[in-house]
Amino acid sequence: MIGRLLLFLWIAAWMVAAFYWAPLVPVLGETTRVLYFHIPAAWVTVVALGWSMLHSILYLRTRNLEHDHHAAAAAEIGILFCVVATVSGSLWAKAMWGSYWNWDPRETSIFFLLLVYAAYLALRSAIEQEERRARLSAIYSALAFVSVPFLMFVVPRIYFSLHPDPIINPRGKLDMDPRIRIVFFAMLVGFTGLYAWLQSLRVRVARLEHRLDQA
Amino acid sequence: MPSNGSSSGAAVWAILRKECRSEWRTRYGLNAALLFAVTTLTSVSFAVGRLTDRTDLLGALLWVVLLFAALSSLSHAFVREVEGHTLTLLRLVASPTAIALGKLLFNLVFLAVIEAVTVPLYLALMGAPPPKWGAFLALLGLGSLALAGSATLIGAVISQTRGRGALFAGVSLPLMLPVLAAAVSGTRAQWAGGAIGAEVRLLAAYSAALLAASLLLYDHLWED
Repeated sequence: MIGRLLLFLWIAAWMVAAFYWAPLVPVLGETTRVLYFHIPAAWVTVVALGWSMLHSILYLRTRNLEHDHHAAAAAEIGILFCVVATVSGSLWAKAMWGSYWNWDPRETSIFFLLLVYAAYLALRSAIEQEERRARLSAIYSALAFVSVPFLMFVVPRIYFSLHPDPIINPRGKLDMDPRIRIVFFAMLVGFTGLYAWLQSLRVRVARLEHRLDQA
Repeated sequence: MPSNGSSSGAAVWAILRKECRSEWRTRYGLNAALLFAVTTLTSVSFAVGRLTDRTDLLGALLWVVLLFAALSSLSHAFVREVEGHTLTLLRLVASPTAIALGKLLFNLVFLAVIEAVTVPLYLALMGAPPPKWGAFLALLGLGSLALAGSATLIGAVISQTRGRGALFAGVSLPLMLPVLAAAVSGTRAQWAGGAIGAEVRLLAAYSAALLAASLLLYDHLWED
């Protein structure tokens, strides 16, 4: 209860700070503030996908359904944040680059992540038996894990992109105004906390559903 | 985990021969896939006409045709076993890895046959300028390897679900998109006279990564 309240206050306070305390970046203008939502959402997407894949592989090794609960929950929450990152990025692209969607390598890779999550959830919904669903979706997740680095890191290196470097890069971030940097990292922490909370909720629901099935 | 069967080269070879023989007996899968590929090719060619001087489009459309042909046919190898109730018997005589590798080789042969018909037809119908054969065939071969590699494992997974065929295209597409991206840009580059080193390396690395992951995952395919 206290944790949730603190999380709410934390995010709300930094949101206010984003508007009234942090300065604007000259080129970006008023759209600077998208930064505080777009990048944390993309960050959570990557964390959730990584978490989902980690637990898929752990499931294959241990056959403990708890890992499957974690993998499924992370995929569901990941798709939510992936949509947030995609939509906010698309709006930002319209403001900065002049079009909502242009198959920029970074747009390609986030769309690809959406496809992976969607296919993972579609696959899960097509298998009824619990153990089989856990095993087959874990196999799929592990295989998708192979293709993610290719689209996330390799393709944008081959093709030209307008997008600044995606994964927090020290060189780029160093010329950030310190106040922007503080708000940005605070939002990153806030979003990560939000994700951890949603994840624990979803896993608890999955546990209860599992017990209900067994009863 | 059934691991009493042999997973040696002999078992893989036997599975491949069995696949080819049972396919040849009915030719149902091959006929359907060829017909589908030619249908896609016809609709593309009919819709856009000859594209002699647009090599950028030629590369893209060629891989769209090949991707559709792969998506429509490559789940067949496993779905056929499940529908014919022959999978249990097959699992008694060979290890999961041998079965999957045999089916992977079969899928590769299958794709090669489809491409042997589709690609020349495509080049002729679209009025394409002659490609640089070495680069073109290297891209075609590596692209097919990556397509077959992802399709084999996904096909095995999908054959155990409720939707079977219907899900296959949607679920395997994310794994095939990197192939599509690299193969299209490579094919485009060889027509434009550019270098294709980066694309060939990307395709080769992707195929190798897929195959390595598949080899680790095949053992988990069946357990009940």
